Amino acid sequence: MVAIIEKRDLRDFDWLTTFLAVAIACFGIWQIHNALPTESYWTKQIIGLCIALVAFLVIAFSDYRRIIELAPFFYGFGLLLLALVITPLGVEVNGQQAWLKLPVVGQFQPSEFVKIPTVLMLAKYFGGRKSGSLSIREIVVGGLIMAGPIGLIMLEPDAGQALTYFPIFAAVLFLSAIQIRYVVLVMVAAAVFIPTSYIVGVKTGAIKRYQQERISAVIDPESVDPKGYGYHTMQSIITVGKGGLTGIKGDPETSQSVLKFLPEPHTDFIFAVTAENTGFIGCVSLLIAYALLLSRLIAGARSASERPGMLVIMSIATAMVFQIFINVGMALGFLPVIGVPLPLMSAGLSAILSTFIAIGFVVSVKMRRFVN
Amino acid sequence: MKLNEQSQNLGVRIGTIHIIAFILLAILGVRLYYLQVVKGEYYSERAENQRIRHIPIPAPRGVIFDRNGKILVDSRPTWNVVLSNEPIKKIDVSSRVDDYAKGLNLDPSFVVERLDLIKKQNEFETLVLKENATIQDIAWVESHSLEFPELRVENQPQRFYPHGTQLAHVLGYVGEISPKQLESDDWKDKGLKPGDIIGKGGLEQYYDVFLRGKPGYRKVIVDSRGRVQSEIGVVPAQAGQDMVSTIDLDLQLAAEEQLANSSTKRGTIIAMDPNNGEILAMASLPSFDPNIFVQGSKTPEGRKQIAAYWQDEKRPLYNRAIQGRYPPGSTWKIPESVGALQQGVITVKDSKVLCGGGITIGNKFTRCMGSHGAPPLDFAITHSCDGYYYHLALKMKIEGLIKMVETFDYDKRTGIDLPNEKVSQTPKSWKPIIEKREGRWSDIRTVYASVGQDTVVVTPIAMLRAVASVGMKGRMYTPHFLKEFRAIGPVGDESDSTFIPGRDAFGFLHPEPKIIEMTPEQNDLVVKGMWGVVNGGGTAGSIRIPGFDIADKTGTAQVASLGKDVGGNKDHAWFVSFAPAFKPEIAVIALIENSGFGGANAAPAAKGIYEAYLTKKGFVPPAETDLVAKQ
Repeated sequence: MVAIIEKRDLRDFDWLTTFLAVAIACFGIWQIHNALPTESYWTKQIIGLCIALVAFLVIAFSDYRRIIELAPFFYGFGLLLLALVITPLGVEVNGQQAWLKLPVVGQFQPSEFVKIPTVLMLAKYFGGRKSGSLSIREIVVGGLIMAGPIGLIMLEPDAGQALTYFPIFAAVLFLSAIQIRYVVLVMVAAAVFIPTSYIVGVKTGAIKRYQQERISAVIDPESVDPKGYGYHTMQSIITVGKGGLTGIKGDPETSQSVLKFLPEPHTDFIFAVTAENTGFIGCVSLLIAYALLLSRLIAGARSASERPGMLVIMSIATAMVFQIFINVGMALGFLPVIGVPLPLMSAGLSAILSTFIAIGFVVSVKMRRFVN
Repeated sequence: MKLNEQSQNLGVRIGTIHIIAFILLAILGVRLYYLQVVKGEYYSERAENQRIRHIPIPAPRGVIFDRNGKILVDSRPTWNVVLSNEPIKKIDVSSRVDDYAKGLNLDPSFVVERLDLIKKQNEFETLVLKENATIQDIAWVESHSLEFPELRVENQPQRFYPHGTQLAHVLGYVGEISPKQLESDDWKDKGLKPGDIIGKGGLEQYYDVFLRGKPGYRKVIVDSRGRVQSEIGVVPAQAGQDMVSTIDLDLQLAAEEQLANSSTKRGTIIAMDPNNGEILAMASLPSFDPNIFVQGSKTPEGRKQIAAYWQDEKRPLYNRAIQGRYPPGSTWKIPESVGALQQGVITVKDSKVLCGGGITIGNKFTRCMGSHGAPPLDFAITHSCDGYYYHLALKMKIEGLIKMVETFDYDKRTGIDLPNEKVSQTPKSWKPIIEKREGRWSDIRTVYASVGQDTVVVTPIAMLRAVASVGMKGRMYTPHFLKEFRAIGPVGDESDSTFIPGRDAFGFLHPEPKIIEMTPEQNDLVVKGMWGVVNGGGTAGSIRIPGFDIADKTGTAQVASLGKDVGGNKDHAWFVSFAPAFKPEIAVIALIENSGFGGANAAPAAKGIYEAYLTKKGFVPPAETDLVAKQ
């Protein structure tokens, strides 16, 4: 699928989006180094970035429309991988069987990648529709496309990853002319249903004790048992606050992550490490970089020449915003601890590779905006 | 987007998502501002607090020496296995109980108890799990440091009493300050914290402030499991001051031996230098082993032993020398004689008082042990004539006896430098109570009081102090154990905030002796009577040491009425003395509980002390011929 790079391709290539993504990833590698200077995660991440860039270029210079044509094939393959995870081929880490270990390829997390074929599948289905309001039948078919990967991910179980699929679906429906009254209806229903189901869940024991504690840790971290599940939230808040305006001065040997007060500093809590090392100034710069990147993506969606391309970009942008918000909100202690990586920042080959593949699609869509 | 744009408001919908994205990022920015800029300093401090630890460096307590520089108490380095709370605060450790118990050879129920205790405490606290760890224990802890990061081996000085039960009451013991003590006025704001070691009982308690050192600490950085990563500063400890006591260990051991060999093995012996009040020996039996309090308070066996000490009916924890109150019996006649002379009831020229074999008060006859006619004072002392004192006390009246009580400070503590000294009880304290209860003070009580019975119970130390003053021609000193506290140097740099100034040497602040007013003739008469007890055919003639004249008084104090005074209710045997009679160097009191006659039971015990004293002095008894010539 590698296209021959033409002069026109280089002219239309989205250099700024690429630069922002690579810059954030490099900043991330620095923070991974800060998190655990004596471990090799940061060097692995450099290798991961290199691999991701190759994949990114391949996708970017491919014709996304041909790939969307093949979406059902990728989607089926994705479901197969997710199904393999819950077979003995899967690898269990921290109580979640979310990884797959295959010969030659090595160990990776399919739930990160399957988002892409799912998005393509949705784009193919909803991209082909004509004008007029969304029908119930269309919503049901879309729901079934989502149900496959979400169901398999919940079997791992990885609620955090499953959660990141919902905003994609919401965005696709929203952009596929769903009537506003349905949107309002869903929002009202969520406002009623979420607290109710939480209370019912607690009463019936469906929500486990540790999950409850994680949630109450957010509501009032100071009064939660600091030795219990509120510990991670409290330590993350301390780490962020400690960074102050400009980040830690002095001995990095005594940082929260090096002394192991902060759990999972190179993955889930990479933002807290960033906050400790670069302070408010560094963090706000990072958030601005994300905002610029997202604006570039959304601008690309606006200029897309056809509906499937627009849906692909907006799905990717929505998923990214949502992941940033969940991950940083957790690090800042106002959202419960959910294992969602921070896009482009968290250590992990699967995460950075899938993010760059997604951005590759965006660049591909933008490159073909003048083509009909 | 060209397709269906107008009909579906697609541009507006994309814009909506764009705005939502920015709102979410803005929320993160606001929260960041609050945590990092508004509360940054607060969290910075919290991070500091959780990674910086002060690991205490214990300060050795001062050593206590005897007057010749022999060690009475010191501290030995011991290795303790310490349990720290931090690594285990978040986890259930019940599965480790058996590992600990097996690895450290502990009782599982004790391990559970200690784990419960540490879990209740502040997360940074530590608790000793095993004291006096063996090489095997240390090796076990070191080899399991990855599995059990909560266990650590620490070197701590531990108080050690090399003489065990001997001198235990005088020295006392040390232990962890109790939460109750920490809140009491005595200890509040003294900079002590739970787990600190303080003196409990004896000299350890009385001179705690001087014996106790000032602990230092190492300032270290720890990781989230409390493991030390690096050291960033040290404040050294300052040891406590060494104390030189007035105790003479050889005399002390002799006193302990005499008590151990006595018939009931219960009683006390005190030896004192009458010239200044320095205590040379103070033994009280039954006794206890202070090492059990120090080492055993953390083991079930030790606690059982400590509880047994408290419950023992023979009261081994109680220092009979200063806390026991006994009817003094005939030893009471010495201060009484001085009182009668002072008050002019008798004079040196005419000290004869009727014995009459006893006295009749109302229709009750109280007998004397013999019939002595109307003897002079010295004879009455030498032969312990009760009848003489019955009649003498009636002449002095109860007011005269009370005046004597005040003269010899029997209504006060002696001021000895030990905690919890008891005050004697005398007619002075009893008279208002008896008068209230019975309407009047009857003569029979005066008669009983005259021979140290009924309303008279005195502490052995008060009796020794009073009688010794007679040997010193009326100079009554404060008994004490402190000879000197040695100086200790300053610690640290004077410009530092952690600088600890040195402490100067100091000795006992001798209060002026109390002067008992009496003429040399009066004094001579009483001492002559006391001399006769051993040397003139008196009640303790059997313990005479040729060439070394002891002046003394025996006492046989009734515990139960006549006829019932057998077995456990036998009389207390007293012997109070000083020697040489006319130029005293040493005063000795012996009290053997429920052993019978003073002359037969207490006097030989006192003799043992004098012999030890003379052996030390290199005293050689003069040859028989010299004695004959002298007589």
